[in-house]
Amino acid sequence: MNALFLVVFLISAALVAIRDPASFLPALLTGAGKAVTICLSLAAVYAVWMGFLKIAEEAGLLRAMSRGIKPISKKLFRTEDEKALEQIAVNLSANFLGMGGAATPAGISAVRLLGASKQADYARAMFFVVNCSGLQLIPSTALALRVQAGAENAYSILLPVYLSSLAALLIGMALVMLGYGRKRT
Amino acid sequence: MSWTLYILPVLFAVVLIIAAVRKVKAYDCFAEGVKGAIPLLYSLFPYIAAVSVLTELFEVSGLSDGLRRALTPAFSALGVPKEIAPLFLIKPFSGSGSLSVLGELLSNYGADSYIGRCASVVYASGETVFYLSAIYFAGVKDKKPTLPVLIAFAANFFSAVLGCLFCRIL
Repeated sequence: MNALFLVVFLISAALVAIRDPASFLPALLTGAGKAVTICLSLAAVYAVWMGFLKIAEEAGLLRAMSRGIKPISKKLFRTEDEKALEQIAVNLSANFLGMGGAATPAGISAVRLLGASKQADYARAMFFVVNCSGLQLIPSTALALRVQAGAENAYSILLPVYLSSLAALLIGMALVMLGYGRKRT
Repeated sequence: MSWTLYILPVLFAVVLIIAAVRKVKAYDCFAEGVKGAIPLLYSLFPYIAAVSVLTELFEVSGLSDGLRRALTPAFSALGVPKEIAPLFLIKPFSGSGSLSVLGELLSNYGADSYIGRCASVVYASGETVFYLSAIYFAGVKDKKPTLPVLIAFAANFFSAVLGCLFCRIL
């Protein structure tokens, strides 16, 4: 990201200097102003969702989901390691419910714990790819930005989003199975 | 598609009822959860600011137009509107970056337009692959996660293209 930032910034700045040097500083300030606007809308989104998700967590919904996920992930990740399965379950359910903050630490320790399993490469790859599909019950950020942009039907994206995430999940899982072989230990 | 309008109210009601049955202090919990939003925003703003400044400069310089023109044949062959090309490019690297690009696209083209919907779907499905790989595989020293990253990248790319197609037919 650092290299990308540097290269794009320098090339853009050079082009602006050639075409219209007076618009350089206004462009920077407009950009920063947009960041402020986005963060304000995000503050509203996070206030609503993180408050709500905390209630869901305290009501035991996260734990209930983790219990449901465990048997499936045992098969999918080909591991018997109880601790790893625990972390995977927390990570996947937190991601699904849109609690990125709770998901990441669990995900990191899941990757570490999977390293000790017999098919470590397969398990880690599968876990990473499943994580990257980004399947989510409510894509709250996108929905909120749509509402703020004046969408008449902000929810019209739900079905395409589900289908698209599901496609990413299935394609990714198939590719991991192909790449790391089907065999079981 | 009107049934989707009921998802959120029903979800909130169900969770609150479960919470009530289990004697959760809903008010305190809600406030506690919101408290967590402040450090999150605090850590997010600098990156969003950096990327927004960059994208604005990128736009003003005409570089964005040039890139768009260069990529148009490839994207139109895939059925992806060319306006979304920047989102495709930044999505794997940066969540805050794609967020600010999405905000831009929505305010420029309207949230209900085909472009706005496609952008929302591309943003909402799939993760920031390279960023996640940096975090998740940071502790794994024995092997570089090249293959998993390639797989995730390919899967997300195809699903984003599919997402644009779904937007057209659904």
